Amino acid sequence: MVSLTIFRIICTSEALHILPKLFANRRCLSKTSIYATLCKNFINFSSKDTQNNSCFKPVSESTGKHVSSLLRTFSTASEKLNCWNCGHSVEQTPAFFCIFCNFVQPPDEGASYFQIMDCDQTFALDTQRLQKRYLDLQRTLHPDNYTHKTVKEQEFSEYQSALVNKAYRTLLKPLSRGLYMLELKGMHIQEGTDAGADPTFLMELMEINEALDGARSREEVDKIGAATREKLNDLTKRIEASLHKGELQAAKAFLVQMKYFANIEDKVKEKHSELM
Amino acid sequence: MSNNTTSSFGRGRCYFKVVDHYENPRNVGSLDKTSKNVGTGLVGAPACGDVMKLQIEVDDQGKIVDARFKTFGCGSAIASSSLVTEWVKGKSIAEAMTIKNTDIAKELCLPPVKLHCSMLAEDAIKAALQDYRVKQQDIEIEAVKASN
Repeated sequence: MVSLTIFRIICTSEALHILPKLFANRRCLSKTSIYATLCKNFINFSSKDTQNNSCFKPVSESTGKHVSSLLRTFSTASEKLNCWNCGHSVEQTPAFFCIFCNFVQPPDEGASYFQIMDCDQTFALDTQRLQKRYLDLQRTLHPDNYTHKTVKEQEFSEYQSALVNKAYRTLLKPLSRGLYMLELKGMHIQEGTDAGADPTFLMELMEINEALDGARSREEVDKIGAATREKLNDLTKRIEASLHKGELQAAKAFLVQMKYFANIEDKVKEKHSELM
Repeated sequence: MSNNTTSSFGRGRCYFKVVDHYENPRNVGSLDKTSKNVGTGLVGAPACGDVMKLQIEVDDQGKIVDARFKTFGCGSAIASSSLVTEWVKGKSIAEAMTIKNTDIAKELCLPPVKLHCSMLAEDAIKAALQDYRVKQQDIEIEAVKASN
């Protein structure tokens, strides 16, 4: 077993931050496993720095950390989660409340957004069901319900509520959902210029943007908006097909295209309200 | 860079630079991309969905006499490309090739999260210079063929 002193020297601030959380998280892991987790954290964070793998809106750095945390989590078979309040084991993943004492639990680091929102990990998603789940969860988790509870409960409800917000926002829109699914498989869209971009495609984007910029009537803007939406619907179908078949590179390429058109759609909305 | 971040006046100046380029962008527009004296660079950043077009017009002595840009993206991307068009005017091709994203970022005091915008502008000018160079080579090849 490696001594803690050595780890204090080599641990990044990120890893040190996780240590108290791991103990507070009532995981009954042996200390050896926890040190191994810290070591893995350190390796993951240093390689993350050198690769400059940071991502893009809306998948922010916090989502990057969330995914890193997911990829690092040991198999749940070896872990027993216990309620911090009554000590009973908390079986389900993710666990929001203890089924025995009903106290709110800290967020489950091993749960994906799909698990949190009780959705199958597929690109095709019932957004109405997602919304219902979101409202149901927030009804019980929102910090407003914990104003008279203990500090610890307030803290956990804050973390849980924020995480549910994040999960909902990420899964709601096809673009962020698709990008998140790629992230779960370890694929990121690199920052910076795409050296292999199709010049014809870039030219097409330029022309659409220029046309939108020069549009002087709502009709013109709506026409561009309709064309863009059609393009986005088409891309959504292609992304669904690619992800379903496990063709990640193809899905990534379509998601990149979708990002460009999603930006245009945002500008259409802006322009539309400007011309009102 | 340090004197721009320590004093609040310095920070104000930096902030105004990006805003200034965004609100009063220099050299927005297009040049005739079919012209033999014009080099066009067209780049995209997939992570943020920005597109940037940068064009240069070069005289017969190899000096850049005009530059135009069109950027659809965030303020930092617009400011970076606007700045590059300002910088390249009057420079030779070789001098323009030395423009680095770090110079752009320093001048505009771009925060770390926006450094990729300056990178995009550097890639755009390099693409424009490359396009011009390829055009000139093609012209030379045509001239050699014609004389044979």
